[in-house]
Amino acid sequence: MKPILVIAKRELGGYLTGPIGWICLVVFTLIAALFYNVVLVQIANQSMQLGMEEGLTEGVVQGFFGNLTVIGLLLIPAVTMGLIAQDRRERSIELLLTSPVSSLQITLGKYFGALAFVLVMISTTLYLPAMMYWMGEPDGGVMLASYGSFTLLMAVFVAIGLFASSVTDNQLVALAMSFSLSLTLWIIGWFGAALGESSLGTILGHISMLSHFDTMSGGVVHINDVVYFSSTILFFLFATTQRVEALRWR
Amino acid sequence: MIEVQGLTKRYGANTAIDDVSFVVQKGEVVGFLGPNGAGKSTTMRVIAGSLGASSGTAKVDGVDVAEDPRTVQAMLGYSPEVPPLYTNMTVRSYVSYAASLKRVPDVAAATNLALSRVGLTDVSHRLIDHLSKGYRQRVGLAQALVHDPKVLVLDEPTSGLDPAQRVEIRELIRTLAAGDRTIILSTHVLGEIEAICNRVIFIGKGRILAQDDIGNLSGTARVVRLELARPEGAQVALAAVDGVLALEQAGSIYTLRTSRDVRAEVAAAAVPFGLLALDGKEHLEEVYLRLMGAEAKA
Repeated sequence: MKPILVIAKRELGGYLTGPIGWICLVVFTLIAALFYNVVLVQIANQSMQLGMEEGLTEGVVQGFFGNLTVIGLLLIPAVTMGLIAQDRRERSIELLLTSPVSSLQITLGKYFGALAFVLVMISTTLYLPAMMYWMGEPDGGVMLASYGSFTLLMAVFVAIGLFASSVTDNQLVALAMSFSLSLTLWIIGWFGAALGESSLGTILGHISMLSHFDTMSGGVVHINDVVYFSSTILFFLFATTQRVEALRWR
Repeated sequence: MIEVQGLTKRYGANTAIDDVSFVVQKGEVVGFLGPNGAGKSTTMRVIAGSLGASSGTAKVDGVDVAEDPRTVQAMLGYSPEVPPLYTNMTVRSYVSYAASLKRVPDVAAATNLALSRVGLTDVSHRLIDHLSKGYRQRVGLAQALVHDPKVLVLDEPTSGLDPAQRVEIRELIRTLAAGDRTIILSTHVLGEIEAICNRVIFIGKGRILAQDDIGNLSGTARVVRLELARPEGAQVALAAVDGVLALEQAGSIYTLRTSRDVRAEVAAAAVPFGLLALDGKEHLEEVYLRLMGAEAKA
């Protein structure tokens, strides 16, 4: 267990001492604040016109995280692109490969390091719900479900990004690849919907992250959505471990 | 301490190393010698566990690297030709990271010892990115020896260094060799091998061409150099000595190629011409060129 922690700590430290980590952190924080305000004003106008107060939390929080996932989709690949690709390019991967550390430990260490940084990113938005509590009485359950599902989704993007970073020694290729993979998995349900009731359409609908995310962030946490996200993460971590193992053969 | 048996590594149709076998005893310092692309680095990477072999085995202290790489890596330090550095870390944080990865019990103490051994204590707070090549090479060495390994595998530890830095690293390796640490190192500088190693292994085109103790290699006098006070007319007398194959003259210096050790006979023949100096050792360079030449012809 300990080598995983050692590697994760170094990765997290790398983000906090390098430019890419800070750029992503600042961009994410600023855009989150912007989105929050836009969504809040919009929902406030709507509810005033319609004269309703029910479901205000849902509207604000869901609208907020719905927009924020797009930013995650763009920023997470930048966060993860260097994880393994840069180690390969600069040959520092050889330190890991010749230390008494397994390929799985390398993979998990890198994953948890990047995930920890993404959690730092997400935590910079925590003052926004705090403000909602200060101003009114938001629905705590919806809030928790939204944060949980958003974090889980970002954890999936990190796993995809880590995998993309393991197949190449070029960070830009890793960036493009993890973005394309994440985006495809995100919207593949649209093609499923276009195919209608056919079996392929249904399968694509199930593979799509969007549909799982929508039900979950609505405050209804189904076990099958959690299983879906967890198994996607496990799949990409497994694939990454295989890639790291393959590095020992070239 | 290190047993390599029938090691072969193929990349598709290319064979990087072909049926390489050798044994390194505990406490020996062995030098790998050969041209670029001969398979020195490949062999070293297999021993260090960062590369899987196509066939054959490498054992360190009786443990097969392929079967139990973690055990081998815990007692082996490896410094690749390009040091595996994180340039955005400070020297100290990098070396202590390496120490933690290698499961050193007291990370801080091991880091301090490694830094002082390679002479990096004064720059330990600096970013690796800001260091010169010589210092980076030392950081690579610090990483390799931070867990006080029984075996050190050093791939061109002095490449790209200036002469003064080379001497420093050479001295460092010599201090590391004290005790019963086993060291394998590769280099292009033949003098380095003569200065540090007990034994040399010649590799060419993925195969072992020769391996012997430094003393034995140098002792087989196949080349004799003479300096004469009166070189005129010595040519005929020297060529007449049985066993002399070829003869070159450059001013007062004669270089003789001989089929066996005929130093005594050559000296006797040279005395009438005012023998000033006779150097009968076959230099490693000549052994190297002879072996590589034979390989090229084959």
